[in-house]
Amino acid sequence: MSGNPSGRMPVSRRTVLKGTAAAAGAAMVPGALKMSEARAQDRASTLVIAAPATPQILDSEYDVSLGTFEAVASLYDSLVEFEKKPDEGVPTASREDITDYPDKPGRVNMVGKLAESWEVDPGGTWARFHLRKGVKSNWGNELTAEDVVWTWHRKLALGAIGGFFANTISLKRPEQIKAEGSHTVSFNLDDPNPLLLKLQPNLYNPIYDSTKIKEIATDDDPWGKSFLENDSAGFGPYRLESLVRGQQAVFKARADYYRGKPAMDTVILKEVPTSANRVQLLQGGAVDIAQYLQPLEIIQLRKAANVAVETIPATFMIWIELNAKIEPFGNIDVRRAMNYAFPQEQVIKAVFQGLASPLTGCMPDIYPGFNAAYWEFGKQDLDTARQLIVEAGYADGFTTSLAYNAGDPVQEPTAILFQSALREIGVNLELKKVPAATFYNFVTERGQPMIFYVDSPWCPDPGYSMNLYFHSKSFINYSNYENARVDELIDGAARTADMSARLEMMDEVQKHVMKEAPWVFGVFPNYTMARAADLAGWTYYTSNNMRFQDFHRAG
Amino acid sequence: MTDNSGESANDIAPRAVGAAGRGRLAQSARVAAFLHGSRFLLAVLRVRPLFAVGYGIVIVVVLCAIFAPLIAPYPPETANPDDFLQSPNWRHLLGTDATGMDVFSRIIWAPRIDLTIAMAGTLISAVVGSLIGAAVGYYQESGGVASFFSGFVMRSTDVLQAFPVFVFAIALVAIFGQSLQSIIAAIAFLNIPIYLRLMRSQVMSVRHMRFVEASYVAGTSDRAIIMRHIIPNSMAPVLSQLSVNIGWSVLLTAGLSFVGAGVVAPTPEWGSMIAMGFQNIITGQWWPSVFPGIALAVTVFGFALVGASVEVLADPARRRALVGSLRERPVQEA
Repeated sequence: MSGNPSGRMPVSRRTVLKGTAAAAGAAMVPGALKMSEARAQDRASTLVIAAPATPQILDSEYDVSLGTFEAVASLYDSLVEFEKKPDEGVPTASREDITDYPDKPGRVNMVGKLAESWEVDPGGTWARFHLRKGVKSNWGNELTAEDVVWTWHRKLALGAIGGFFANTISLKRPEQIKAEGSHTVSFNLDDPNPLLLKLQPNLYNPIYDSTKIKEIATDDDPWGKSFLENDSAGFGPYRLESLVRGQQAVFKARADYYRGKPAMDTVILKEVPTSANRVQLLQGGAVDIAQYLQPLEIIQLRKAANVAVETIPATFMIWIELNAKIEPFGNIDVRRAMNYAFPQEQVIKAVFQGLASPLTGCMPDIYPGFNAAYWEFGKQDLDTARQLIVEAGYADGFTTSLAYNAGDPVQEPTAILFQSALREIGVNLELKKVPAATFYNFVTERGQPMIFYVDSPWCPDPGYSMNLYFHSKSFINYSNYENARVDELIDGAARTADMSARLEMMDEVQKHVMKEAPWVFGVFPNYTMARAADLAGWTYYTSNNMRFQDFHRAG
Repeated sequence: MTDNSGESANDIAPRAVGAAGRGRLAQSARVAAFLHGSRFLLAVLRVRPLFAVGYGIVIVVVLCAIFAPLIAPYPPETANPDDFLQSPNWRHLLGTDATGMDVFSRIIWAPRIDLTIAMAGTLISAVVGSLIGAAVGYYQESGGVASFFSGFVMRSTDVLQAFPVFVFAIALVAIFGQSLQSIIAAIAFLNIPIYLRLMRSQVMSVRHMRFVEASYVAGTSDRAIIMRHIIPNSMAPVLSQLSVNIGWSVLLTAGLSFVGAGVVAPTPEWGSMIAMGFQNIITGQWWPSVFPGIALAVTVFGFALVGASVEVLADPARRRALVGSLRERPVQEA
């Protein structure tokens, strides 16, 4: 018996306020209530995700937006993947085993996906993949070697993201990819390349159903660009049921998937642009996963009974590009001074609430070959920073500007903390808030003295990472960093499959880069999974996205 | 007033005395007039206490803007990461934001930016809009090229006012770049049609008055008639609009900052402070955005009340009614 004689729910001012707030919250997110009703019907096999955006273009050749990552990962499969292992810090989560294994082929621990076996030249000039038989696409066509050949021909022909990958593994001509029978395909390179196998599991190296695309191809569009923008033709575990951009994407599990039908029959990726609303929906049980939350929201969610929050070290890095072609950042002492002045510890504490670690190197610290020994900046040291500024000839200080992304809530407070620190050494830092829509134009134009950048190299290899950010000819070397010796080492590491020699070369590159400091080294933010407590199976991938096929209801 | 206001007792008094005493008498007359005006204003504020609240708010905000360095306990733009997101306490009366900046100090400093932008934008628009409005109103019915030009100006303002104000302001700031000058220019540009229309309608009635016609017959130039006779006699509605517009401009400035098109962080500005703190409301840290929101609301309310009082005092009929109620008040109280 309750103490309420009427038997009704006691109504207090707080109850009314809570009810009003919940109703307001639901009203803010169109369809939230409807979504809740639908979920109650078939929760066991339905996964609802509150995401910041729906997929824009489904063709991995042309789109790297947030929603597209999840879509590509569920609609397509690659030839091989990294073996998974339990995460050391969070036992309920798994992660890719990207350790360097000197005794394994290609020194990697991989398992087959579309390929059931493979051989790799220890010298790195060829690789041969034997495909599984009986694998069907979402259009019912069987996987053959021709699909793999056509996929790589498409990358070479379109020359966009896939073109970059082809170039990375030294594939220059279509005839270098050969079908050796109906279910065997080989890659044959002119020069040794260490990434021939390692790059295959990359999220953006999916294999297409060439039979379907050839059916719909036209003379004007022989590679099915228009079709793949809005639909899929792959061998992945899901098919696209519907996509209303800006609202939601619905995916259906394929019963004929070669690894068995995924546990989650229906996946709804719902666009909820504001992170606060995503938190509300997860707390209210209207969604199973809330993506990309702010540190304080993550801390708050940890207290919710029906929610599990897992946060683990990831490949994300946040840094500030110091443009070497804009003074005073051509001067190494000034760049080093900026690093000594950066309040890294305070940023991790105040802005990231401890959900990040210091960026103590120039590549992800979970990748093979990372060496933190070259990190010398340690805790904030304004005296050393001031001395370096004076030695560089700026005894009276200088004025510069820092551009930051208005759409990333951690960048503004980080910039303000940095501004206050620099003021103490006579550097006047002007802050430039750039709308999210145009921020990446600012980055690629390389016209700012200082600009934030967030990235993660998707291949767990030191040569791949160094080439991206520090080779003078790299298209994403946004700090305009140039060092002939660094270029020489990176080029050398790209032409040999001898991993021991490559690790040595990349170690030297790290030494040069850390000494010359082309970045203000920021933080490694953790990757966080905020999910319903009964959802299990989460695996962390180096591409920092989730895969629907991993999830199931616990118990 | 110059032409049609008639002579007051204060104007006549100097004529009755010799030249030597004229200056002293004039001065004491001005003092008497001031005291009379002050007494009148105090009486009005007693009858309409909301007006007093409005003046009080505006005075406090202006004093904050002037004496911010003396009042604020902390520098407004210096982050202190050791004190981030502290709830209101004795050391930080209104708490701190995500970077440890003192919310109270920033609220005190904010009127410097908000009022500067709002007052500069409003004054520029009032001057430019009034001048154009006076010319348009004066020539509206004169026929010929001048009349055509007046029509063209009015249709242009129609087009300008057809755009949603806030979106238009964002577009202007985006085009001219994010700076204090751009925001002032955007506010001035958006407000010009308001003053233009007010002045034009007023001028169209004033220009038919006898003293204007007399001046015209006397051979005074159009420019002199407009500047000396028409504009001074058409200013009342413009003046009453000023205060309301300053409040509205403060709101627009804050809105622009909230969407990221206004002042640059960490400049202390109420809208920018709300934008920096609103994400923390859901996680329980309401103070970085709620207190600046309250300051903004109270300030706009204050200027609206002052605008309402000016509207009453500048309107002869409503002023007479108010004076009437002042005379009746002691009787009613008795």
